Amino acid sequence: MHYIVFGHNMENKITQLRKGILELAILGALSRGRHYGYSLVRTIAGDSTIDLTEGTIYPILSRLAKEGLVASEWVESSQGPPRKYYTLTPKGREAFSILEGEFRKLAAIVTNARNGAVPDDPGDRLNALDVSKESDNG
Amino acid sequence: MANGFSGPVAQIVDSYLARLRKGLSGIPARDQDELVKEINSHIYESYRNDTEGDEVSRILRVLDKLGEPSEVLSSRMPEAMMTVGKKRKLPFLILAGVLIAFFGVPLGIGGLSAAVGLIIGLLAVVISFYVVAVSLILTGWLSAVFMIVRLFSPGFLDRWVDVYPLVSDPTFNTIIYIVGALLIAALGFGLLWLGSRLMRGMRFVFRLLFAKIKNWRKKAPAGGERTLGSDH
Repeated sequence: MHYIVFGHNMENKITQLRKGILELAILGALSRGRHYGYSLVRTIAGDSTIDLTEGTIYPILSRLAKEGLVASEWVESSQGPPRKYYTLTPKGREAFSILEGEFRKLAAIVTNARNGAVPDDPGDRLNALDVSKESDNG
Repeated sequence: MANGFSGPVAQIVDSYLARLRKGLSGIPARDQDELVKEINSHIYESYRNDTEGDEVSRILRVLDKLGEPSEVLSSRMPEAMMTVGKKRKLPFLILAGVLIAFFGVPLGIGGLSAAVGLIIGLLAVVISFYVVAVSLILTGWLSAVFMIVRLFSPGFLDRWVDVYPLVSDPTFNTIIYIVGALLIAALGFGLLWLGSRLMRGMRFVFRLLFAKIKNWRKKAPAGGERTLGSDH
């Protein structure tokens, strides 16, 4: 149904939503320790079924670096080429705690909206009517 | 390019990194090297952690998960190109960035040279316009001065210049020439004025374009994240 309404826009919407969350997820993973690109992907995606195009984290990382939220350094690896490790800067830590709080609030809004759409309890229905009356007057 | 692989796998990785680098042409060489090195490291780690099947199918799976170079770069290129353009004040880089922002594809050499050609063409038109205007002014003023001198000393430069008599009275004739010369100069000034108007119009059009691109970027996914962060 949604796909019919939004058409090809739906894919764009999902990409948009994911990118915002991906940035938050990157900051979150880095807040728990330093990571290089591939380990970051593994941490974020885990074994989940989310279909993550791994390369998309690099533009985000370079922007976060430009904004001064993350710092990076090259570290020699015991096996293979050196790895570029990222860490959160103090500014990045602060940004993450603000964004995480905001994300929790937004997630709560989305979940509540879904649960509260059809009230089963008569008392709830009364409240719902009150709300509609208020909005009619206003 | 040494990438830590060998055999056919090394060739596949090399060709991927080469395509990546092609997409990066236009940003500073140091940044290019850094990103290519980072992606190479990613490929290596990913390959090391994927142990199912033969080498070639492993590396292809790794690159498939990583995404096409254009996918990896598409969201960063316009911005990078625009910054470079600003830094070096190279109009063709800005134009290339604009084109990428519009069409979403890095231009490559062909597109860049087309953009450069366009810029050179525009410059040539502007320059020839001003050359015509300035030469009209110079011609007008010099002829006027020459004629005014002749007004007071008839026969001035007669040995080199042949003034065609439009009317029989030489003084009146000279005055007609002076008026004509001043008209030519005025035409030159008119062209200059028109040129400044045209430039203003062009600047207006470009500003409109840039505003459009800015709006477009705000609506694009890359801009969406930023508004989420900038609320605080």
